[in-house]
Amino acid sequence: MVIDCNAAVGEGECWEPKRRAVNYSPDVLLKDSADAGIQRSCIMPARNKSYRERNREIGRICEKYPEKFIGFAAHNPQAETGALRQMLIEEVKTVGLKAVRSDGHPTRELLDTVAELNIPVMYYPLLGVAEPAAGPGTAGPETYSGPARAYYVMAGLYPSVNFILPHLGSYRSDEWWAHLEAIELATRLPNVYVETSGVLGHKYLEMAIREIPAGKILFGSNAPEEDPLVEMYAIKLLKLPQPQEAAILGGNIRKLLA
Amino acid sequence: MRKEPEPSRREFLGRGGMLLLGTALWDANGSDSRAATPLVAGQQGGIPVIDCHAHAGIARLSGTKDDLTDPWNAVADPETILQHAQEAGINQTVIFPIYNTTYEKANEEIAEICGRHPGRFIAFADHSPATEAGRIRSLMLRECHDLGVRGIGEMEEEPNAELLDAAKELKFPVLIHPPQERVAPFYDFVPTNPDVNFIVAHLGSSGSEDFDEHLAAISLAKCYPNVYLDTSNVVLTRYLKMAIEELGPEKILFGSDEPESDCRLEIFKIRNLKLPKDHEEMILGGNILRLLGSSKRTA
Repeated sequence: MVIDCNAAVGEGECWEPKRRAVNYSPDVLLKDSADAGIQRSCIMPARNKSYRERNREIGRICEKYPEKFIGFAAHNPQAETGALRQMLIEEVKTVGLKAVRSDGHPTRELLDTVAELNIPVMYYPLLGVAEPAAGPGTAGPETYSGPARAYYVMAGLYPSVNFILPHLGSYRSDEWWAHLEAIELATRLPNVYVETSGVLGHKYLEMAIREIPAGKILFGSNAPEEDPLVEMYAIKLLKLPQPQEAAILGGNIRKLLA
Repeated sequence: MRKEPEPSRREFLGRGGMLLLGTALWDANGSDSRAATPLVAGQQGGIPVIDCHAHAGIARLSGTKDDLTDPWNAVADPETILQHAQEAGINQTVIFPIYNTTYEKANEEIAEICGRHPGRFIAFADHSPATEAGRIRSLMLRECHDLGVRGIGEMEEEPNAELLDAAKELKFPVLIHPPQERVAPFYDFVPTNPDVNFIVAHLGSSGSEDFDEHLAAISLAKCYPNVYLDTSNVVLTRYLKMAIEELGPEKILFGSDEPESDCRLEIFKIRNLKLPKDHEEMILGGNILRLLGSSKRTA
């Protein structure tokens, strides 16, 4: 089964370094994913200030399309501190969500909870906007300095938690060296996995395939920001042996969520 | 000791790339093949598929702090381009230098690469108004008539009058990366140079980093008949679709930004739009062919 491990649904802001308001339709995602040969998508909310309602909405959408979607929660560990543990436990145990995307550097509260729940965490370590915005809608992209510093301590301290690093460590390959950090992290740390969407420099995906065990690479589309067909083609272009391709296109995320 | 983070590609380009310090050149590899760059026919004699945006050759940035810091400050291997292009069904690729302090040697190297692979590459030269002012016209004349150069690209800074006058004289298209990652500077020179064809790289925003610049590029191309947009490095492909819908296929040129991007994936983004055959042919080759057809190259 082909599973996309990174898609978003609902209202809020996009997850990309330059924020903008979005309202992602599940129906558009369903159509685009089907066109790309994706059978199930892991969906999470768009970025929000708080996530209680958004996560419940994800739960409702998954209930409506149980064969098509797998729900991920999202939380901001800083903004929701103190309340996060209870919310996440409810979202996993009652609503049926299977993982969490961290909107901000994961805290002990978040990591202790996911360790207890045995669910993976997806995290792309953006560092906030360097300069204050000149006015509404003028904020520049958030700064980013690669995943190594954000991941080494955290992933080492929580060996039982599986981490998913999106975009092979560098969205749009702007920070090409961050791809190398991601490859190093996924090679060195048994609990760090990389996701494949938004990698503009295809040679870094080829490098990842050569250097990282295939079991640590997860196909994601970052839909609907990106076109699942293009993201799927990037994987097909790697011309992998069938078992390796099948693992990346679904087998690996299935194991992580089992 | 804390290490200052490396500049991102966007930051690097934003501050003018190689226009920094020093002028020392590594002058090995200078060549003078006087290579012409003939245009070839596509399969079954149809319109060839042409990638209008790729880089080749070595960077000559000795004495600057950017020397050998990033792939685009080091080397771009034409063999990689050839291999990917063949697989992608691309007949010819426009190549121009990566970062250099001045471009005479780099442009000679481009011509030499074209000469080594007849029919596979089309040579564009680059020039820097900041470091080569006063010499640009004579260099361009020589590059056109002796080296077979067909256009200018990929400029990272605003072109000066000397370069634009020579481009007009030689009927060279000028391919420009949005200066400081903004499309707005194009309004400084496009309206006053209606006889020069301009190609805005990356549909206005490399890597779709700032989607507003895609919109700005579409607006610019809508206002001026001599502005074209290349498709290289567009991550948010809905803006490709939007550009074609709003401007028509005749203003859009397929480009890849090889070897940092992969032309096999970049061309898929165009083919995936499932355009009418004649529209796709224009974007994949017909349009750049038309722009190159008017250049005053002498074989």
